[in-house]
Amino acid sequence: MKVTIGVDVGGTFTDVVLVDSAGVIHASKVVTTPADPREGVRRGVEVALAAAGLAGGVVERFVHGTTLATNVLLERAGARTAFVTTQGFGDLLRLGRAMRVGEARYDLLFAPSVPPVDDAMTFEVRERCTATGAVHVALEPDHIDEVVAGIVACKPEAVAICFLHAYANPAHELAFADSCRVAMPGVFVVSSAETWPEMREYERATTALACAYVGPVMASYLEGLQVMLRDIGVVCPVQIMDSSGGVLSAALAARKPVATIESGGAAGVMAAGFVGRLLGERDVLSFDMGGTTAKTAVVRGGEPTLTFDFRVGGHASMGDRRDDGLVVKTPVVDLAEIGAGGGSLAWVDRGGALQVGPRSAGAVPGPACYGRGGTRPTVTDANLVLGYLRAGELSDGVVLSTELATAAIDEHVAGPLGLATVDAARAIHDIVNNNMVAAIRMVTIQRGIDPRDFVLVGFGGAGPIHLVRLAEAFGIARVVVPWAAGVASALGLVAADPSVIEIHAHLVAADSADPERITAIFDDLAARAVVSLDAGAAHITMQRVIEARYPGQVHQLAVEVPAGVLTRADLDAAVAGFHARYLETYGIDMRAPVQFVTYRLRAVVPVDKPEPLRDRPAPYVASRSATRDVFFVENGQHRPVSQYRWENLRPGASISHPAIIEGAATSIVVPPGWAVMLDTMRNVIFSPLAASAPDR
Amino acid sequence: MQAADAVTAEVVRNALSMAAQEGGIVVVKASHSTFIQEGADSSAAVLDARSRLVAQSTATTLMHAASLRESLRALLVEIPLDTMRLGDVFAQNDPFKGGIHANDVAVLRPVFAGDGSGPHYFAGTIIHVADLGGGYAGGVAATAQDMFAEGMNLPPVHLYRAGEPEAVVWKIIENNSRTPEKVIGDIRALVSGANVIARRVGELVERYGIVGLAAHVEGYLTYTESRMREELRRFPAGIYHGDFTIDSDGIEADKTHEVRVTVTLPGDGSIHLDFTGTDAQAKGAINASYSQALSGVLFAVRCFLDPSIPMNEGCYTPLEVTFPRGSLVNPHPPAACGGRIVVVTAAMEAIVEALSAARPDMALASSGIVHLYAMSGVRTGASSPWLVMAMDFGGLGARATCDGPDATGAFVLGGRTAVLQVEPYEAQYPVMIEHTRPRVDSGGPGEQRGGLGIDTAIRLLDAAELVVRGDRMVLPPPGRAGGASGGAGFWRIERAAGHVDELAHRQSHVRLGAGDVFHIGTSGGGGLGDPFARDPEAVARDVRERRVSRAAARDSYGVVLDDAGVVDSPATVQLRGTR
Repeated sequence: MKVTIGVDVGGTFTDVVLVDSAGVIHASKVVTTPADPREGVRRGVEVALAAAGLAGGVVERFVHGTTLATNVLLERAGARTAFVTTQGFGDLLRLGRAMRVGEARYDLLFAPSVPPVDDAMTFEVRERCTATGAVHVALEPDHIDEVVAGIVACKPEAVAICFLHAYANPAHELAFADSCRVAMPGVFVVSSAETWPEMREYERATTALACAYVGPVMASYLEGLQVMLRDIGVVCPVQIMDSSGGVLSAALAARKPVATIESGGAAGVMAAGFVGRLLGERDVLSFDMGGTTAKTAVVRGGEPTLTFDFRVGGHASMGDRRDDGLVVKTPVVDLAEIGAGGGSLAWVDRGGALQVGPRSAGAVPGPACYGRGGTRPTVTDANLVLGYLRAGELSDGVVLSTELATAAIDEHVAGPLGLATVDAARAIHDIVNNNMVAAIRMVTIQRGIDPRDFVLVGFGGAGPIHLVRLAEAFGIARVVVPWAAGVASALGLVAADPSVIEIHAHLVAADSADPERITAIFDDLAARAVVSLDAGAAHITMQRVIEARYPGQVHQLAVEVPAGVLTRADLDAAVAGFHARYLETYGIDMRAPVQFVTYRLRAVVPVDKPEPLRDRPAPYVASRSATRDVFFVENGQHRPVSQYRWENLRPGASISHPAIIEGAATSIVVPPGWAVMLDTMRNVIFSPLAASAPDR
Repeated sequence: MQAADAVTAEVVRNALSMAAQEGGIVVVKASHSTFIQEGADSSAAVLDARSRLVAQSTATTLMHAASLRESLRALLVEIPLDTMRLGDVFAQNDPFKGGIHANDVAVLRPVFAGDGSGPHYFAGTIIHVADLGGGYAGGVAATAQDMFAEGMNLPPVHLYRAGEPEAVVWKIIENNSRTPEKVIGDIRALVSGANVIARRVGELVERYGIVGLAAHVEGYLTYTESRMREELRRFPAGIYHGDFTIDSDGIEADKTHEVRVTVTLPGDGSIHLDFTGTDAQAKGAINASYSQALSGVLFAVRCFLDPSIPMNEGCYTPLEVTFPRGSLVNPHPPAACGGRIVVVTAAMEAIVEALSAARPDMALASSGIVHLYAMSGVRTGASSPWLVMAMDFGGLGARATCDGPDATGAFVLGGRTAVLQVEPYEAQYPVMIEHTRPRVDSGGPGEQRGGLGIDTAIRLLDAAELVVRGDRMVLPPPGRAGGASGGAGFWRIERAAGHVDELAHRQSHVRLGAGDVFHIGTSGGGGLGDPFARDPEAVARDVRERRVSRAAARDSYGVVLDDAGVVDSPATVQLRGTR
C-alpha cells in the first residue's frame, strides 16, 4: 500500500501513525504545542519517520486530524467577518435561537451568547425570494454595488451571505457573492446556499458565518503546514479528516472549514470501525479517552451514525433540544463527548462533593505527576496512585512522579474530605468512570440501542485504563484494546477514505414527485461531489438518500434510494421504507401521505487500508516481566500484580488476571474476573471469566 | 460495598431521568404542532403510584412542571389504582383536576411489574395539542370568560383499555377539533412518549426488582429533599413580602389585579409561601389553576437555589404553599385559565421581589412576557383550514449585575430565546414576514438596562382571522430601585387600504385581508437602579448597537454623545448635574 502518515492533534498529545509499504505500523506520541500545533506535528512526524527508517520523500499520503475550527470558534480567534442578509433581518444572529435546558433554566443571571460578528459589520440587502424560489423583490445591480462599497469600507477578511429562501433559489446569493469576490480579491466569501442549502435561515446563517470566520485561519494554517512538511521532505498533498469520518483535500477544508469541526472525534470513531472490520465485527462501540475528553460513538453495520446539527460551545445537549452555542449544520459523527480525560481536574465543590472535570490541566501545565508545574490533582494522578500507571517515563520525556500525584491528591481531595490518599484516588477514578458511563448511555441506551450487542473498542492514552470497568457497568462481554491503542485516532486517519456529502432541498409530495426531476437532482449532486473530490468518476462509490417526513411534522427520517435513473417504483419503495422507519422509531403506524424534503448524496473514493501483520497464534501462557502494587476494589488494598510488556507478547498469549499490560504511551488494566488473550494482530481481547457478566 | 452502591444509585437516577428524557423527545418529534416542535409547552415525567414526581425531562417547560403530578392525583381519585390493567392509557385536561387549560392534554400510563403486580409507577406526557374546540381556533382563548369557551373538557378517561383503543373517546376528541388530523396526531405523539417511558421504567423494575427500584427511588427523592433543605437553611431567614400588579384581564378594562405573597424562611430548611391577600379570581382568562401556580412558585424559588439540584418530589416537600381558594392563584370552576401565564409570572415577580430583599445580588426588575397569537383561515381554493399559533417574547428585566437580555422566554418558560424562523413559517402559511428586529429604546432605562422587546411584521397573502393575547401592554414591566419601566408592546394592523388599527392587548376574531400587515411589538424589560448612574460608555455602546437612540441617551440617561458616537464627558457631567 501507499506509505501513509496520519497525525491527530489532541489537547495534550499529538499522535502520529506511519504505515509503511508492507503495512507495518510505526507510531510516535509527542506533547502538543498549543501556541502553534504545527511544531508538535513536525516533531512527531520526524520521530515516526526515524522509527520506520524512512525519508519524508517516500510518503504518498498525509492525513491530518485537527481541532483548529472548534478552537477558533471557541476562542473567538477568527477572521474579521461581515454578515450580509435580506433587508429586515439584520438582527437575525443577535436575536438568536438559544434553547435553555436543564439547570441552566434556573439561572436568571445568564449571559446570552454573542455571535462572532460585529453589529457594525452587518449589512442588509434589498432583495427577496419566496419559499417556492420565486423572486419577489429583484436584486438590482446598483444596489449590490452600493452595499458592496459599504462592506469594502469595513475592510473585512471574510464575508458570510445568507438571504431568505436561498436554499430554494440561490441566484441572488451567488450574484452578490460574485460581486464581493470581484470587489475584494483575496477576501473569503461564503454563500449559505453553497455551504448548506437547507430551509431554516438561522442555522444556515450561523453555518455560513462559522465558515467565513474560520476559513482564512484554516487556509493559512494549512498553507504553513504544507510548507513545514516540505521542509522535512514530505511533499505529498495534505488531506484533512472531516467530521463525518471522510477525508477532504486541504483546499476543500479551507473552503468549507466547518466540515472539520469534529475532525479529531471522527478519527477515533473511524479507528474503532477499522479495528472492528479487521476483527470481522460490524457493530462496535467506540471509546476514546485522551488527555482532555472522552468520546464515545456507535458504529453499526460498519458505519458510524451521522447527525447534521452541531453546536460549538454549548453547555448541554439533550436530545434535539440544545442550549446556546453556535449552530453549525454539517454532517458530524454522532458522538457523545464529555470533559473526562487523563488531565481532567478533581475538585471538591462547595457542597463538599467530589467532582471530576470538565476542566482539564491540558498539555500545559498537565497533571501534577508530570512535574511540569501542575499542582491540582487529575485523573492521571489518581491512576498513578492506584498503580494503573507506572511511575517513570510515559512518553516524549514526560516522567510520572507518584510523590507529586500523592501530594496533589492529599492537598485538594483527601485532606478536605478526610479520606486516605488511596480512597480519594479511588473515588476520582470511580467518578470519572461514572461520567463516562453516562456518555456511553447517551449514544446507546438513550437511543434505544443495547450496548451489550456491541464490541467495546477502547483506546486513546487513558482509554485502556478505564475500559473494562465501563464494560462491567453495562454487562458488555466483548472488549478489545487494539494494537497501537495509544495512538489509535491517528490510525483512524490513515484508514479513512476521501469522501464528501452534498445536499439539495426540494419540498414535494412523495406521490406526485417526478422521478426524472429527482434523478436530475442526484445527478447534479454527483457532479458536485466529483468536483469536490477531484477524482475520476470511475473510482467513486455513491450512496443516495432522501430525507422524508409527514406533512406538518418538522423532523425527518432518511431513506436510501438506488443508483441510476429513478422510477416511480423506486420512489414508492422509498415511501414504504419511510413508513417502516417511522414505525420503528416512534412506535406508531401513521400511513399518512409523505413529503420528500432533502436529497443527500455521499460520495467515497475507497483507498487501500493498512493491513496489520497477522501472525499465526501459538497459544501459550505469558510470563510476567515484573510485579507492581496495584489497587483493585475487589482486593480492597494495594497488592502485587503481574506486569507485562505488550511488545514482548506474541499472538496467542494468554494472561492471568489481574494484570497490567504496559504499552507505548498507555497501560491496559486487567481487573480481577477477566481473561485476556492476544489475537493474531496482537490486539488485546478481554472476556469475562464468570458465565454471566457482573451486575446484570 | 458502599462505592458500588453509590454508583448503582447514580446509574438508576440517570436511567429514570433518561426515561423521561427519551419520552419527551419522542413526543416533540412526533407532534404535529409547530408550537411544540419549536420547543414550547411540553413535559414528560416518571411518577410513582403515590403521585410523587420521580424524574422529569430536562426540556420540560417550567410552566408545565407540576401539572403531571397534580393530574395523576386527580386520576387516582376518579379511577382507582386497583382497577387499572396493563395496557391502560389515560388522558385528561381538566384545569381543576391538575390540568392547565383545555389544549394542554396529559396522558398517563401505569407501569406494571413482570409478575403482573402494580401499578408501581406512571409514565406521563403533556403538550399543548392542536385545536380542541371552544370559541377560539387553536386554543388562544384570549377573551374567554369561562372554561367552556376554552375548549372541550376531558375528565380522566381511558384512551386505551388493556391495550385496546377506546374508540369512542378518540372519536369524541376528533369530532371536537377544527383540525382533527392534527389533534389526533398530537395525542398519538403523547401516547408514543408515554409508551417509551413506561417501557424503560418497566425494564428498570425488572432489572432491580420492585423493592430494589423502590429503594433507589426513595434514596433519590430523599437526597434531593436534603439538598433543597440545606440550600434553604443557608438562605437568610426572615419574612419577606412581594406583590405585582396585573394590568388587565382583557375583559374588565379598567380593573387591575394584585398578586401578593408573604415568604417565610424559618431557617429550618423549609419555606412557606402564602398568597393570602391576592385578589379574587378574574373574569378573563388569566387565572392560574393550582398546578400552574405551584409550577411558578417552584421555578421562582429554584432560581435562588443551587441549580444542580435534581427535579423531583424532593423539591416539593420543603415547600408549604397557601393558595387561597377562589383567588387568582387557585380559582373555582368554571374560571377561564388559558392565559394563566399572566398570573403565574406575576406570582413569580412577587416572589423574586420578596427574595431579592434577602439576596440583593440576585435582584431582577420585571420582564416583558409573551405575546401569543393564533391566525387561521382557508386558502383561496382549498378545502381544509390552516391554523398557526405562535409567540414572540419580551425583554428580560435588568439584573443586579448586568443588563436584561433581549426578547427571551427565560422568565416565562425558563427556556428559549427564539426569534421566529421565517422560512418554515412562510413555506407553510400564506404570509410574508417583512422584518424581525429589536425595538430601539424599549429596554427600561436603569443603571442596568432592561432587555429589548422585538418588532415583527407579517404581511398576509390571504384572508385570515386573528386572535391576540399580549401581556403587560397597559402597564409595561416596571423598573425597580429607581429604574424605569420597559416600553409597552403593541398589536397593530396596517391595513392594505392605508389606515392603521391598534388592537387591544387581548382581542379575538380580528379579520385580516390579503395585503394587511400584522405588527407584533413585545414589551421591554424594566430597568434596575438610577439610569443617570449608568456607565456612559455602556450607553454609548447601546447607541452603537441600536438598542438606545441618541435622544434617549440624552433624555433618559443624561449622556451626551458627539457626532462619532463618543461620550462627551464634560457635557454629560453637566447634563447629569442639572437633574
